[in-house]
Amino acid sequence: MIEPTEAVVPVPPRALRPFDLAKVASRALYIQALFSAERQQGPGFAFALLPVIRRVYSGAEERGRALARHLGFFGTHPVLAGYVLGVTARLEERRSQGAPIDDAQIEQAKRALASPLAALGDPLFWVTLRPLSGLVGILGMALLSLADPLGPDLRVLVCPLLALLTYNAVALKFRLTGVARGYALADEPGKLLQSLKLAELKQFFERASAFAFGSLIVLTLWVLNGSADPAGQGLSYAASVLAPFVLGMTATALGLARWPGRNVEIALAAALVALVFSTRV
Amino acid sequence: MLSEISRVALLGGILALDRTAGWNLMLGQPLVGACLAGALLNPGPQWELWALRIPLGVGVLLQLLLTDPSLPAGQRPRDFATAGVIGASVAILCLERLHPLLSVTTGGILWVLVGTFAGLLSSLVGGWMEITLRSRNRLSASRADELAKQGDLSGFESLYWRGVFRGFLRGATWSAVATVAGVGAAAIILPRLARFVTGPRAGLIFAVVLGVAFGAGFHAHVRAPRHGLRWAAIGAIATIVILLRFQAVAP
Repeated sequence: MIEPTEAVVPVPPRALRPFDLAKVASRALYIQALFSAERQQGPGFAFALLPVIRRVYSGAEERGRALARHLGFFGTHPVLAGYVLGVTARLEERRSQGAPIDDAQIEQAKRALASPLAALGDPLFWVTLRPLSGLVGILGMALLSLADPLGPDLRVLVCPLLALLTYNAVALKFRLTGVARGYALADEPGKLLQSLKLAELKQFFERASAFAFGSLIVLTLWVLNGSADPAGQGLSYAASVLAPFVLGMTATALGLARWPGRNVEIALAAALVALVFSTRV
Repeated sequence: MLSEISRVALLGGILALDRTAGWNLMLGQPLVGACLAGALLNPGPQWELWALRIPLGVGVLLQLLLTDPSLPAGQRPRDFATAGVIGASVAILCLERLHPLLSVTTGGILWVLVGTFAGLLSSLVGGWMEITLRSRNRLSASRADELAKQGDLSGFESLYWRGVFRGFLRGATWSAVATVAGVGAAAIILPRLARFVTGPRAGLIFAVVLGVAFGAGFHAHVRAPRHGLRWAAIGAIATIVILLRFQAVAP
């Protein structure tokens, strides 16, 4: 007589809910916490995708395999990582529902999106928008007059706020919508990339950045010129007072063309030269 | 001092997270960090005139000096997230403690300079420390592989949160240590150099450093982008026109 065995009831695959995607988006804020040269944001990507893995797979072994799939190398711009996470969530969901999607297809989809997003996102956010935001904060200092010259200087709050608003008005839009949009457009990565208009945004912010810097230079020289010669001793006197500023600026602009990224060293060296010069003259 | 240093540590830790964890909300920029530190460490009504302007000055200089227009892979390791906090905190704490010892006529400029140099040096050292944090992350990633093999998702999750906390702890510890070291070094050095610290000398160095900051800004905002010079010239001309217009209208 054959003993009746316990029937294995298959767990029906579960679909992702908007709440799961929101959890992925919130976890994507920590995508770089275990950043290393070898895997870059790989562990962070797997961490952000955990709510999806937990939702669509049952059983420790299956979940472990899904986690291992995403622990390898992954590198894109952190603000735009949500789009790749959304696409991957959709693929994992379909796979759990029985669609013939293997590991290589998931990896290929990730890389196909991650590389162009990094190539477009890094110049937009790191090279253009972040410096521009800092500049807007500095311009706030130059433009806003003191409400009360003897009281507390409220620009200490207004200037950082301006910088934060400038950057996050753009970046947060991508952060908040990335996962849901990637999930919705998982089958059309080309359309997804084009809809972001990253190259156009970069061009606009580059021009805005140069415009703002030109404006800042004039505002600074205007103020310096006014304070350099309060007694009205003439142009040559004002020029002699402004000379250290102009010299420092020219030398640095030339120095950085020769040694890019050496801002700190150049600043320290220039201050030392000025100190030595001041003891001699 | 203890309560001030704990505030600096908390702020430094949070701002370091903005950079290391990947929030990237711009909180870790020197201008923001310096201004927040200035607002947190306000030394009281007797210093009201300078207390908020000094961190603003430190923040502006550091923001221009630490802006690097290269892509992240080509950048030198610099910890700009805590540089603003450390620079502004050193400046404010030195103002409060050392100002009476120096007979300088330049007011806040000296403390802006002290804070800026503290911020620059801390960004150099902090950058090296970040490299060590990344090698620790490599070990955590290997551990994550083992946890994935075991199917231990919760274990991986707690490993990851520990990594986040490590980033916070590094930022907090470094901000506190560097601030104490900066104030200590200034307390030893500046009173001994009191006779050399004159108003004109501080003014000259400030003008040079301001020029260097604008040179770095020119490199980042004008030279790097295409047609940068053209748009900078348009911005400059537009501002001159507006300023002249205002001057003509003003009584």
